[in-house]
This record gives sequence, structure tokens and C-alpha cells, in this order.
Amino acid sequence: MDNDRIIKLLKEICSTPEPEEKKAFFQGLEDQGLISRRPVVINHGDFLLRQFFYIGKWIWLLSAVLLLCIMGICYGNIGNYPFALTPLLAVEILVETGRSSRWKMAELEYTARFSLRSVMLARIFLVGIVETAGLLVVIWVVRPWFSYSLIRVFLYMMVPYLAASLLGSVYERKNRSDNNWGSIIICFLSSGLFAAAPYYLSSLYEERFTVIWTVAFILLVFSLVVSMRRWICELEEAVWN
Amino acid sequence: MELIADRITKQYKNKIAVDRMSFTLTKGVTGLLGANGAGKTTLMRLLCGVLAPDSGTVSCDGMSVGTEEYRDILGYLPQDFGFYPEFSGKDFLLYMSAVKGLTKKDAIQKTKELIELVGLGDSAGKKVRTYSGGMRQRLGIAQALLNDPQILIMDEPTAGLDPQERIRFRELISGLGKNKIVLLSTHIVSDLEHIADRLMIMKDGQLRWQGNRSAGGEDLEAFYISQIGEKR
Repeated sequence: MDNDRIIKLLKEICSTPEPEEKKAFFQGLEDQGLISRRPVVINHGDFLLRQFFYIGKWIWLLSAVLLLCIMGICYGNIGNYPFALTPLLAVEILVETGRSSRWKMAELEYTARFSLRSVMLARIFLVGIVETAGLLVVIWVVRPWFSYSLIRVFLYMMVPYLAASLLGSVYERKNRSDNNWGSIIICFLSSGLFAAAPYYLSSLYEERFTVIWTVAFILLVFSLVVSMRRWICELEEAVWN
Repeated sequence: MELIADRITKQYKNKIAVDRMSFTLTKGVTGLLGANGAGKTTLMRLLCGVLAPDSGTVSCDGMSVGTEEYRDILGYLPQDFGFYPEFSGKDFLLYMSAVKGLTKKDAIQKTKELIELVGLGDSAGKKVRTYSGGMRQRLGIAQALLNDPQILIMDEPTAGLDPQERIRFRELISGLGKNKIVLLSTHIVSDLEHIADRLMIMKDGQLRWQGNRSAGGEDLEAFYISQIGEKR
């Protein structure tokens, strides 16, 4: 048998059959309104609210557990060590922000109306706002158990959290991997560093260094915004290129 | 409605994936044929705004590709996509509805309709990670239709579908092509034989041929092979 005959024979055997009940199928589509009905679209506020319910429950659970641990350790009155736990909160924002690319959903989200940028910003905003609010409540509750002013407790809590978030976001941006172990390790290392700080650099927690903590806080907020923005931009463009 | 690509080019390091391609797509089904590595996926990504062209433009009725208004009328099925592991098929469609901006009421209704349409009614509540390749592909097709797109771009949509599923898919696409711009890529000629109104044939990043399906004659495969200059 020559090649042409084999090809013809294979084509006959392998070709897909003609569609059946085509007319009834199209009628069904028309009846259901699938072909011509344009849906109404939601605004950015509604989108943000809907995204809240798509953030993993474990994120909120872990946040609550960590915040309770910080409060418990503060109540135990063991010096400046509770401040070292706040970098662990950064794990959640980093894991949540990188979720789209980790699970190969980024391309689908990118071509949707609200786009990947909105999805990532919504996650950063929601997890960030809830964690910051939680930390502010903790700061207000534990403040009487320290001899520091409210602003100093705030700085000692927030600077480690922001530092870990910044380092983790830079790492995630530069090393796009299928998991978050790199940034998780960074958060734990930051936590260890701030746990060791009161032991090796106890003077850092003296009142005269409050200005340095304030400057560090402002710089970290600014750098984190820049880093997150670059992370989103690079994920949108560079992943595909 | 017209989707116009004007001399679009995309280069990766030393390979030109799409080379100065110009064409106009109107309502109806257009089949994009080409061997693996011909540049079909890159072209589709350029048309969806996922990739930015190195030169040239893509627009639809004055809307530039990549804008919110363009994305609003776009439905896209990528060749390779994933799912959040905690999602069931229904959860996935509801989530994509939210990202596409559908109201909750519309999202629920569209999800229900599309789950039935792609034949996933019995498995809608099951985790997507338990789905077969064909079921995942059908779910991908369903998400592309959620916002009732005017432009529907599907990259290798029949990959992983069994013959019965392919029939359903072809029926669906034929129907949708009546009032939408539908572009679907494949390297399987028989996928397009009965549903494409127009054809585009790509090789090495270049558009080798474009025209009406009827111009391809009865034996589309022979026509395709003759256009890409290969012997049987």
C-alpha cells in the first residue's frame, strides 16, 4: 500500500463524525440567551469585596494565631522578643500576592476585565489592611505592658514586619518559583534577626534611637510600595516575554 | 466589528516568532493552522494583549489591545493554564466571573448555563484537581465564554478532548461564530474542516496563506501541506 492510500485510509478511520442535532443545539443556545446577552459589570469596590472571599481561610487563621501569640508573649513580659514575631505575618502577604503565577492562573486573570494587576493589588490591599489593623489592635492592647510610648511600640512592631515584607517581595520578584519557600525562609531569618537584636544590640531599643526607627519605617514603607509595584509590573510583562 | 493586526512582529532573542503579520478578522470562525513552533501561540498572545508586540499594532473598532474596554469583550483560552487547588469547577467559574466583572447574579446564572453547556453538570462540585485533561479543557472553554465575549480567541482548544467532546465543541463554536469574531488555533486540520469560515496558515512566524475556507478545496489537509511547502 502506498503512502497516499495509507493517509486516505487513516483519515477515513480517524476523522471526527459530523455534528449531530446541530439545529436543536443552536436553538437551545438562543433560548438560553448565551449568544447575545451581555452581562452587567461590577465596579472596583464590588470587585474588591468579592476578592476578599477568595483569600485562603488559612491566611486569616494564621494571622489570628500569630497576633494572639504576640499578645501572649507580650503579656508574659519577656522584653523585646515579641517584636521578632511580626516578620512571620509577612509570609501571608507574600504567599497570597504570588498565588496567580504559582498556580498558572496569571494569564487567565491578565486577559479578564479587571486584569492581573487589579487581582494582585486587591490581595495586597486586603491582606495588608487586615494584618495592619490586627497589629494596631495588638499594639494598643499590649502597650501598657511595656515601658515604651505608643509610638515606640508601634515602630518596634511595624519595622520588622515591613522589612520582611520588603525582602520577601524582592526575592519573589527576582526568583519566580513554583513555591514560596524562599520568601518563607527570608521571613523566618528576619524574625531570627530581630529576636537576636535585643540581645546583641539592646541599645537600639533606647529612646534616643527612636528617630532612626522612624526613618527606617518611612523608608521601608516607600521601598515596599516601589517593590510591590515593580513585582506586579514585571509579572504582567516579563512572565510572557 | 473588525479586529485588525497591522504588521505585528515579536522576536525572542534570536528567533522571530511572529514576523510582520497583517490581517483583519471579522465575525465568523477563523482557523489558524500551523505546525508546533510556527508562532501560533505568540500570535494569539499578541492579539489578547498578554504580549506586547515589538512593532505593529492590534486594535478592534478603535480599541487598543490590552485596554479594559478591549478585555471586556475578549474571551481567551490559553494553551496552558492552571487552577487554584482549592477550587471546584463551579468555584473556578464563579471566581473568573468576578475577575471578569460579572455581578453575582449574572455569575451564578452564567456558571450554571456554561457548566451544562460543556457537559460538566455532574462534576461541577468536584475539585478541579480531580478532573481529567478533557474536563479541564472544557472548563477552560466555559470560562472563556463567561463574559459573552465579542472576540473569542482559543489556543489549541481541542487538545485533550475525545471525539465526542470535539463534536460538542465544534457545534458550540459554529454557533458562536455567527455573531462573534472567533479565532482558534490548531495543528489538527480536521478540527477546522467543518467549522472554519476563513483560514490562516502560519509557518516560521509568517503568514503563508489567508482566505476563505472554500478556497482550500475538499481536501483541506492536502491544501495545508501544499501551502507550508512540505511533501506528504
